[in-house]
Amino acid sequence: MARIEVKSEITGTVWQLKAKPGDKVEGGDILIVIESMKMEIPVITEDGGTVKEILVKEKDPVAEGQVVAIIEE
Amino acid sequence: MPRSKDSWQPEIDELNQRRLMAEACGGAEAVARHHANGKLTVRERINGLADSGSFREVGKLAGKAQYDAAGKLTAFEPAPYVMGLARIAGRPVAIGGEDYTIRAGTGFGSDRRKGGQGGFIEDLAYEYRIPLVNLIDGTGGTVNTAKRKGYTVVPGYGQDGVERSVDLLGIVPVVSAVMGTTAGGPSMRAILAHWSIMVKGTGQIFAAGPPVVERAFGDKLTKEELGGTGVAVDTAGTIDNVAVSEEDCFAQIRRFLSYMPQNVWELPPQASCDDPVDRCEDALASIVPRSNRQAYNMKTLVSMIVDRESLFEIQPTFGRAIITALARMNGKVVGILASNPMVGGIMDVKAARKQGHFTELCDMFNIPIILFADIPGLMVGRESEAEAILREGVRARYIALQARVPMFSVIVRKCYGVAGGGFIDRGGLNFKIAWPSAEWGSLPVEGGVKAAYKREIEAAPDPAQREREIEAELKQLASPFRTAEAFAVEDVIDPRETRPYLCQFIDAMQGRLRSQLGPKLRAGVRP
Repeated sequence: MARIEVKSEITGTVWQLKAKPGDKVEGGDILIVIESMKMEIPVITEDGGTVKEILVKEKDPVAEGQVVAIIEE
Repeated sequence: MPRSKDSWQPEIDELNQRRLMAEACGGAEAVARHHANGKLTVRERINGLADSGSFREVGKLAGKAQYDAAGKLTAFEPAPYVMGLARIAGRPVAIGGEDYTIRAGTGFGSDRRKGGQGGFIEDLAYEYRIPLVNLIDGTGGTVNTAKRKGYTVVPGYGQDGVERSVDLLGIVPVVSAVMGTTAGGPSMRAILAHWSIMVKGTGQIFAAGPPVVERAFGDKLTKEELGGTGVAVDTAGTIDNVAVSEEDCFAQIRRFLSYMPQNVWELPPQASCDDPVDRCEDALASIVPRSNRQAYNMKTLVSMIVDRESLFEIQPTFGRAIITALARMNGKVVGILASNPMVGGIMDVKAARKQGHFTELCDMFNIPIILFADIPGLMVGRESEAEAILREGVRARYIALQARVPMFSVIVRKCYGVAGGGFIDRGGLNFKIAWPSAEWGSLPVEGGVKAAYKREIEAAPDPAQREREIEAELKQLASPFRTAEAFAVEDVIDPRETRPYLCQFIDAMQGRLRSQLGPKLRAGVRP
C-alpha cells in the first residue's frame, strides 16, 4: 500500500481540518485549510485513498513544504 | 565499377573511416559507462531531439589523431563537442552539445571552438538567424590547459568569451538543457538562454562542485544537494524547468520552440486551431469564490480560456505566486502572466524576478501578454524587505513599462498597490477588462481603514463599530460597476466571455506586432 505524504504549499497557521483519519478521499479533495496572509489556502491531495494521519491540529503553525497529512492509496 | 586512375576513392574511404571513428564517441567502454549512468550520448541526444534524419553534422573530423612513421592514421580521439544544423518541427536550428564520454566534455584546444561558449555553432545561429539549442554536459575548464599552452589565460580571453552568446539573446531563441553535472563555463552557457531545462537526477549545475565547497566551507554535500533540481530549479530559479527524463527534456524543448519565432524579425508561428473562438466555459462564472479570502485554481481558470492543451508553463516550481506560461489564442502565441491565489498570490522577490524575465522574453519575440490579476500586493515584512522586495517589485514594473509588446489586463479579483500596477499596461493601450469579482485600489479596504481614519475611529463612542461602518461604506464604492461608469476600467465582462473577447483583440493586434519586428534597443538603468 503506497504511503503518500501531503505537504502544505505555504507557510501559515492551520485554520480548519476538512478530513480526519479513516476518511476516504479522492484526488483534488481539500484535507486542511491553512490561513496565510489573510487568505484561506487549501491543502489538496493529488491522490485518492484513505486518510492515515492528520499531523497538525487547528491553530498549529505550518511551514512551506511541511508534511501535514498521510494518505494510503 | 572499375576505378579510374584519377579517382579520389582512397581519400573518400579514409574520410568515411574517420567519420566512423568520430561516431564511436569516447569508445565502447566510455559509452557503456555513460549509459549505465542513465545518460544518452550527445549523438543519441541530437537524434532524439531533432526531426528524424535531419542532422547535418559540421566538424566531424575535428579531434586529435595519431599517425605511424609512414603517416598512416593509427588512432583518433574526436573533439568532445558535436554540433551542426538540424530541423525541429521542420524549421532549421543550430544544435550542439559536449561529448561527456571524451574527457568529460572539456575543451580540446582547437584553433576555433566548435561550440560550448562561442564557437562555430553560435556563429551559425547568429549569422543565419536560427534558434540555438545547447545540450550541456560538460564541466568546463581544466588546469591541464596551462600545461598544454605553457601559460595561464585570463578568463574571458580568446575563445572563452561569451560576447556572441550575449548577442544571441537579442536575436534568436536560445535554449539550454542541463543534461549532466555542469560547472564553470558550461554553467554560464546554461544561464545565457531564453529558456533552460534540467534533467532530474542526472543534471546538476553549480558555480563550483562539492570538492571546492568542502575546501571553502567544510560542508560535505552531494552534487544533487548542491545543484540538483531541488536547488537550481525549485529554490533558486537558476534553471527554468525540470524534465523527468532525457526524452521528456527533448519533448519540452520541441514544445518551447513551437511557440518561438526563428528570430526577432519574424512573428511566432501560428498554429491551426480547432478550438472554437466562441467557446464560453460555464465553470468560469463560479470559479472565483465569493469570499475574497478563499483560493481557487488559476491554472484551471486560464486553461479554460486559452486554446485547449496549449498552456506550457515556464518556471512552474519557482516564484509560484506568479504563473508564467506560453499559450495560444485562436492559434496565435500569447504569454500568460497570472497571479496564483493557491499560494496567496502576493508578489515576493522570486515572483518579481520571474515576472520581469518572462515579460522580457515575450517582448523580445513579439508575443503579446495577457495578465490575469488577483494580486493583493507586494510581500510585506522584515524578511521580504531584507530581500529587496521594493527594488525587485519596481524592477518588474520598469521592465513592463519598457516592453513594447501589447498587453491586456484581465482583473479577475484583487489588483492592489505597487504590485497590482505591474499588471496594467501603462506603456501601451492601457486596456483593462474586469470580472464582476474584481476589486482594486492602493490597498485593500480591510487593511487601509484603520490607518486612514485613525482619529475618527478613536473618537467614536464604539471604535470597532465605527471601523466596520466605514469599511462597509468604502466597500460599496469599490464595486467594479462604479469604476466602469467612470470609464476608469474599460470594461466589466461576464467571465465566460473572456475567451471570445480576448481572441478578437489578439487577432486584431497582429498587424501591430508585424510593425515592430526586429531587435529591441532599451535605454536607461534598471532600478
